[in-house]
Amino acid sequence: MSSHTHNAASSLQPVPTPRQAGRQALRKPESSLHAYARSFLHNRNAMLGLTVIVLMVLAAVFAEQITGYSPTQMNPAQSRQPPSADHWLGTDQLGRDVFARVLHGARTSIYVGVAASLLETLLGTVLGAIAGYMRGPIDGILMRISEVVMTFPNLILVMIFVSLLGQGVNNVVLVFALSGWMTTFRLVRSEFMSLREETFVEATRSFGYSRPRIVFKHMLPNALSPIVVAFTINIAHYIIAEAGLSFLGLGVPVTTPTWGNLLSAAESSEVMKSYWWLWVAPALAIIIFVTGINFVGDGLRDVLDPKTRRTPVRKILRDNLLGKRVES
Amino acid sequence: MITFLIRRILILVPMALLISMLIFFAIRLSPVDPILYMVPPDAANDPANLERLRESLGLNAPLPIQYLRWLGNMVTGDFGYSISSGQRISDILALRLPATLELVGLAMLLSTTIALSLGLFAGAKPGGIADKLARTIAVIGIAVPDFFFGIALLQIFSYRLGWLPAGGRMLPGQITFLDRLPQLVLPVAALTFGMLAVLIRYTRNSVLDTMGKEFVKTARSKGVPEWKVLYGHVFRNSLGPVMVILAFRLPLLVGGSVLIETIFRWPGIGHTVVSAVSSSDYPVIMVTSMLIALMILFASFLIDVVKSILDPRVRLS
Repeated sequence: MSSHTHNAASSLQPVPTPRQAGRQALRKPESSLHAYARSFLHNRNAMLGLTVIVLMVLAAVFAEQITGYSPTQMNPAQSRQPPSADHWLGTDQLGRDVFARVLHGARTSIYVGVAASLLETLLGTVLGAIAGYMRGPIDGILMRISEVVMTFPNLILVMIFVSLLGQGVNNVVLVFALSGWMTTFRLVRSEFMSLREETFVEATRSFGYSRPRIVFKHMLPNALSPIVVAFTINIAHYIIAEAGLSFLGLGVPVTTPTWGNLLSAAESSEVMKSYWWLWVAPALAIIIFVTGINFVGDGLRDVLDPKTRRTPVRKILRDNLLGKRVES
Repeated sequence: MITFLIRRILILVPMALLISMLIFFAIRLSPVDPILYMVPPDAANDPANLERLRESLGLNAPLPIQYLRWLGNMVTGDFGYSISSGQRISDILALRLPATLELVGLAMLLSTTIALSLGLFAGAKPGGIADKLARTIAVIGIAVPDFFFGIALLQIFSYRLGWLPAGGRMLPGQITFLDRLPQLVLPVAALTFGMLAVLIRYTRNSVLDTMGKEFVKTARSKGVPEWKVLYGHVFRNSLGPVMVILAFRLPLLVGGSVLIETIFRWPGIGHTVVSAVSSSDYPVIMVTSMLIALMILFASFLIDVVKSILDPRVRLS
């Protein structure tokens, strides 16, 4: 039935002239990258998210030009002013401009999110690729290590690492990566386990290529889609994690403005009672940015990895135990 | 099935030992010297004093010996003493665990009830009102961490409107559960909200998946009423993935939520952990992390059991 209607429809189309047919044959086939980009561009939520992210990153980069206030300059005479034409988001207890601090905070917060996600992805991918390709004892050892790290309560692990390494922007990045690589590791490992049975990998082995060349040059590009999706979503996760850690006073040192540090103003009940603008602005900044990232991540997932839109138990496992949502 | 269970239980023991070693050595090898937190600064000026204290606490023995001692004490139920308060850790746990259980238990109960019913209706009628509501909650819930939500609730209902207390668990004279209810509302609401989004999403998708299965068509074609199809056939068969998520949340029952407990000054385990970390109270950190780690191990065991019931192939691998 369906093939019949299909035939009828195609017979209605004009037969191409020889010249047109020739042109069509000569035209380069659309690359998969192009196809991905086109389908991403048509995803409304993903484009909305991307726009928001780009705008916020630009605002962070051009923070000086946008506000004209320094994030650290104190002005006791202007202490705790509500939002006004002068200070769009008001001032804090030391008279510093909140808008300037939110914009400068964006630099550190976004840096922490992206850098931690990048480092975690790198660590997880390399280890996962090795474990998935080599199997045997190496895989066994890495799996046990990942299980033990996952079993350790995540936030406590982070806090212990922080107390060992000391507080600092790059230490926070390192701690997040060290305590979070297992998700990506497991993801990449299972990708490589199935990839290594494919014919093209068999072929590269029979060519006598070296293992690193097979794993990183030939297999990795085929496992990239879920890795890219995980990388994106993890940025959002680490931005929230930074906020939580800094809220507890264990994250980035308070001298550096970050969204989390600004938010920790809300710990004082005095601020909660009378100076709402001090914590509403950074909270909104985090929520908007994280929503943007999640939209982009979901869009990427739809485009790159259509089969994961379903939710088999395996995926829930991947997202949860393996994941970080176990403890917040 | 029985051999599978036994094998899984046997794996738990070496895992637990490995974790206890990791916890012990990671914390004891940290550069922070717990002794300095225990003695007043003027006494710390005399190294001989410190030495005597170390000796009496057994901190001079080689680490492996200390580890074995600690493990032996743990097994016999002696958890040791807190450095910062001097209280027995078992007393601290006896005081704090019920608070965390109360908070997290209620939140889990509420979030599961809401998420399952909303997810069922959303999945049964995609695009309907329940579905729109479910998707809205899911999007907001994933972008707004539960502790923001907690702060906002505190701001609105406690500081602005003054309807509910701003924190703490019980005031003097509040003995029964009903007396304490006002204090519970906000933290439970914040935690429930944080747990909703993921659960709703999975329930909805799982129900949606099951709706497309052949046996649902069969049931309908046999003339089973729609509500019976939903409850008797679809709902029961889509519970599997949901159970897995619930199992992952079990560790929260003993670990509490560090952030929510901090915001609402809830005297639970999460709160204990934060103050222990910031005052380098290492015996407390070790015991609480061990407790949570054991619960996580138990949860992952439960998940394996659920998985093996859902999919018999798991047992063979």
